[in-house]
Amino acid sequence: MGNNQINERVKKVIANVLDLGVDEIDDDDNFIFDLGADSAQSIELIAAFEEEFNIDMDEDKALEIQNVSNAADFISEHL
Amino acid sequence: MEANLKEKLDNIFYPESVAIVGANKVPGTVPHDIILNILKTDFQGIVYPVSPKEKFIAGVKSYDYIIDIEDPVDLAVIVFPASVTNLAMKQLAEKDVKSAIIISAGFKEIGGKGKEREKELVEIANQNDISFIGPNCLGVINTDPKTSLNASFAREMPEEGNIAFLSQSGALCTAVLDYAKAKHIGFSKFVSFGNKADITEIDLLKYLKDDPKTDVILLYLEEISDGRKLMETAREIINETGKPILALKSGRTSEGASAAASHTGSLAGSDEVINAAMKQSGIIRCRNIEEMFNKAIAMAYQPLPNKNRVAIITNAGGPGVLTTDAVIEEGLEMAHFSENTQKTLKQSLPKTANTKNPVDVIGDARADRYKVAISQAMKDVNVDGVLVILTPQSMTDIKDIAQEIAKVSQQYSKPIYTSFMGEADVAEGVDILQKNKIPHYQLPEAMCYAFSTAYSYSQYEQTEIDRTEFYEDVNKEKAIQILEEAQQEGKEVLPEYEADTILKTYNLPVPESSLAHNKKEAVEFAEKIGFPVVMKIMSEDIVHKFDINGVQLEITGPDEVKEAYETIIENVSKNKPEADIDGVLIEKMIPEGQEVIVGVNRDPAFGPFLMYGLGGIFVETFKDVSFRVAPIDKTTASQMIKETNSYNLLNGARGIAKKDISALENVLIRLGQLANDCPQIEELDINPLIVLDEGEGCYIADATIIL
Repeated sequence: MGNNQINERVKKVIANVLDLGVDEIDDDDNFIFDLGADSAQSIELIAAFEEEFNIDMDEDKALEIQNVSNAADFISEHL
Repeated sequence: MEANLKEKLDNIFYPESVAIVGANKVPGTVPHDIILNILKTDFQGIVYPVSPKEKFIAGVKSYDYIIDIEDPVDLAVIVFPASVTNLAMKQLAEKDVKSAIIISAGFKEIGGKGKEREKELVEIANQNDISFIGPNCLGVINTDPKTSLNASFAREMPEEGNIAFLSQSGALCTAVLDYAKAKHIGFSKFVSFGNKADITEIDLLKYLKDDPKTDVILLYLEEISDGRKLMETAREIINETGKPILALKSGRTSEGASAAASHTGSLAGSDEVINAAMKQSGIIRCRNIEEMFNKAIAMAYQPLPNKNRVAIITNAGGPGVLTTDAVIEEGLEMAHFSENTQKTLKQSLPKTANTKNPVDVIGDARADRYKVAISQAMKDVNVDGVLVILTPQSMTDIKDIAQEIAKVSQQYSKPIYTSFMGEADVAEGVDILQKNKIPHYQLPEAMCYAFSTAYSYSQYEQTEIDRTEFYEDVNKEKAIQILEEAQQEGKEVLPEYEADTILKTYNLPVPESSLAHNKKEAVEFAEKIGFPVVMKIMSEDIVHKFDINGVQLEITGPDEVKEAYETIIENVSKNKPEADIDGVLIEKMIPEGQEVIVGVNRDPAFGPFLMYGLGGIFVETFKDVSFRVAPIDKTTASQMIKETNSYNLLNGARGIAKKDISALENVLIRLGQLANDCPQIEELDINPLIVLDEGEGCYIADATIIL
């Protein structure tokens, strides 16, 4: 799977969890600071990434992921 | 205080505009409830919620970023999760916001990554001249109607009052607010300062010094970062404004203290050092919240008593006696009424009433009788304060009596405290008293304790250390040179002989001595010094020489010197074979006197401090010791000595000759100077110091220095 594809799927997951339009999300947007995720949604996002990409994400490392680019890079390394 | 910081703290307490950065619409969460708290307490400024997701919160327009707000922002309250707090701080800098409260947790208190995050937060703040309270705190409340700000997630805004509360713990704040609410205790400022990464308790104390709304300051501390600065600031506040400071502070564990190598170290838990430091700076230390508020309301609601003569007015004999006992136990005096007072009381009260102090207005007394008795006592020049006791009997009009007390209280500039004994039946009366700022105590004993504290505070003469009393005939450079050389040689414990050389540089009374390396030298030295002599093993591996039989006393001739030398070496080889022996010290035998211990230790927050107490082998059993932060002057040295139970032994008790207390005071002053001048000294024990009869001085019989 190419990086662009992962990026798009990541954005879809975020849009779904945070109830946003995909076009409202930029690669550098911080989930909390720019997109308004609260603490519960930050954890929901991790669970949604795991389900979407069928991977296990280490909780501590996953919580360090703060934007779309970080998420896409992390996921492509673990696929 | 520094003008820049004052301005920033003004922005925190009196902002004209507040941005809540990281707000949301989820009820029951901190970012949401803080907005509601600000809105519902009639804040006299503009509120800007900042939320990247919401268009409005609680009907107020929300901004995606703080930089989107067109107008200037005085104060930002950051409620974002810790992971993005630093991003928010950078935007504060961009917006030119200079003051912030960081509520978010997840910093130093969690260690590791949190610690790094806090360091970065401080860096951003420093680079951009931003001052902030927190992180990891409950927030700030200012009840001044000019601003009326509740920038916290406490459940409710407290009543307005003249007491300020500063707390390191947020959770304790909410408990205190609830406690205070039930007793109608109001606050001027209420601050939870959390990790105090930037603004500390010292900054806040300095601000409150000049706050016209604050008359009494309460402080809860878990950790004191700069004890010396705290002492200096407290002194300044008390000297310049007379505002009492009451502190609640938990101590270092006794386990920590017991790990220390010296007697001074093992006797000095931080509680003792904190007590000493607070005493030296005029801070009133309290053991619990109840005691703190019992004392605070006394000083915040009523004038301080001029003297300690109290009148008790009661409607029951038993409680009157109990209160009289408590008055005496607390060092107060029962006032002797003037003839005029006695005459008026006799005329106005029933024949069965007791018109002498304690005045018993009898069980059937109603408000009019209480009014006469209290007013008469308040008028009497021999009375400095009135303590009113009430027990709820069937004819007692509790509410009327409470109202009458409130009225009388306003007519006189003397303190009046109350104890309506009981709980349910007296509740309405107590409520009236509390609303009218009449100190009320469930128990008379607590009432007397509070009166006694207020009286002591009124008598407290705050003085700076009198540095003119310091000795100039000391050789600081020489002492430091010897200590540094010892450190370079890797020494951790300086045996008596080396300790003596340092003590001599401060002219401390060390008896004449020489270190012998063989029997021949020992005899030579003993003859030179003159008999009788004492002989002691010298080794940096041996701290407690007596424990291994390394000391021989009262040696009167050359043969005894040889014998003692052999015995000491034999004992050491047997009991401490691994010890590296420097030699045997031959020392002039000191005449008999009173053995005391003096020592130095170092506290992480307060630095070097002194200990004084009864010496000898039972020092750790009796723990009859006193402490003071060094350096000290003559007045403080005298207090240290008088504070111990063994003072009478020095002061000529039961026909024993009076000892040279003045010489002892001089030792304490000199030792305080040494401890303060030489940071290399970690611990120092002089045990025993022999205090001879008055005019004959004192001598150091044994000393150890730990580097």
